[in-house]
Amino acid sequence: MAADLRFAKTHEWIRPEGDGLATVGISAYAVEALTDLVFMQLPEVGRKVKAGESIGEIESVKAVSDFYAPVSGEIVEVNQALPNALETLGQDPYGAGWLVRIRPDDAAEAAGLLDAAAYDSLVKSQPH
Amino acid sequence: MSGLIAWWDEPASGPDNMAADELLAAESLRLDRVLVRIYRWCEPAVSLGGFQRLADARRCVAIAGLPLVRRPSGGGAIVHGSDLTYAVAVPRGHPWGGDPQRLYDVFHESFADLLRERGIAATRHPGRDPGAGDESRFLCFDRRARGDLVVEAGDLPDGHKILGSAQRRLQAAVLQHGSLLLDRPTAPGESGQHPGLRDLATSEVGPLRPLVASWLERIARRVAGAVDWRDGGFLATRADEWAAAASRYRGEAWLTRR
Repeated sequence: MAADLRFAKTHEWIRPEGDGLATVGISAYAVEALTDLVFMQLPEVGRKVKAGESIGEIESVKAVSDFYAPVSGEIVEVNQALPNALETLGQDPYGAGWLVRIRPDDAAEAAGLLDAAAYDSLVKSQPH
Repeated sequence: MSGLIAWWDEPASGPDNMAADELLAAESLRLDRVLVRIYRWCEPAVSLGGFQRLADARRCVAIAGLPLVRRPSGGGAIVHGSDLTYAVAVPRGHPWGGDPQRLYDVFHESFADLLRERGIAATRHPGRDPGAGDESRFLCFDRRARGDLVVEAGDLPDGHKILGSAQRRLQAAVLQHGSLLLDRPTAPGESGQHPGLRDLATSEVGPLRPLVASWLERIARRVAGAVDWRDGGFLATRADEWAAAASRYRGEAWLTRR
């Protein structure tokens, strides 16, 4: 996992970019747990969201799961190609499998999330 | 606390049942307990998986004319009326709240064990190859996912599916729905092809309530707990919130979301 990523306890990652925006995706752990993805619904561009708010849903063969905004802000771009290429989430979850780009209300908010080591510990403590 | 709290609810409509299950998930978090609702439907109806296309439902001759409701959980469409439905809500921190397959297996393994003890050749299906496009089959009982409970049939390599389940994974809780097909559906069309447990059983299944009670006791023992059956039904405990939640499941916006 890249050192510039921060993670929410709900398994989203966020990477602050140099242009004041941040990229958001789902961790490899979460993608692997879902298995056999069949459908994804992404949010609308321009939507204002609060940290922890559901911003979309993803369906696997047997489950529908929400994913959540790791920080508050405005959705400025969504990965339009992703719903038609869900395998990308498993192949490249921290790159081409990104979900949305967000303009954070507070650029410092992401720093309060888990770093890679803390997230790794969280994952290892999850019930199996 | 370990174990389960369970309610046997009176038959209700699709929107009322889905609303009750949404509230069940919230109550599971509040109590930090595993909660189970067992129920039937007050009329034949179809529940769609969370993201199934409404247009596909409209085209499906097998369910023509039946009321539709969209579940919050995933999976394929289920024709209700000849089935027994369960909903279980589990806090994410519970041992069953992690790996999605775990909760699925807990319920299905326990029921398979119970049926085998009664001489019924029940087994869990390994799941069809993901490349087989199984998810494109509209009806749940036409699909075979890993862990689906089937009764073996010499002439059918995939057996007769009698129990299937699917989940809604919320931020802090998991809601799992399952449908146990009891009898061959009386609804028109292709759905009538599937025999239920009582059609397939080579020995006496017995009354439903003791069977379900034994099933839940087996599940509870997996966490060294017991089943706390509550009287009066879950719906009665949450009547104030239930109507508002049901209106969402009754509304066009929810049904037509895809």
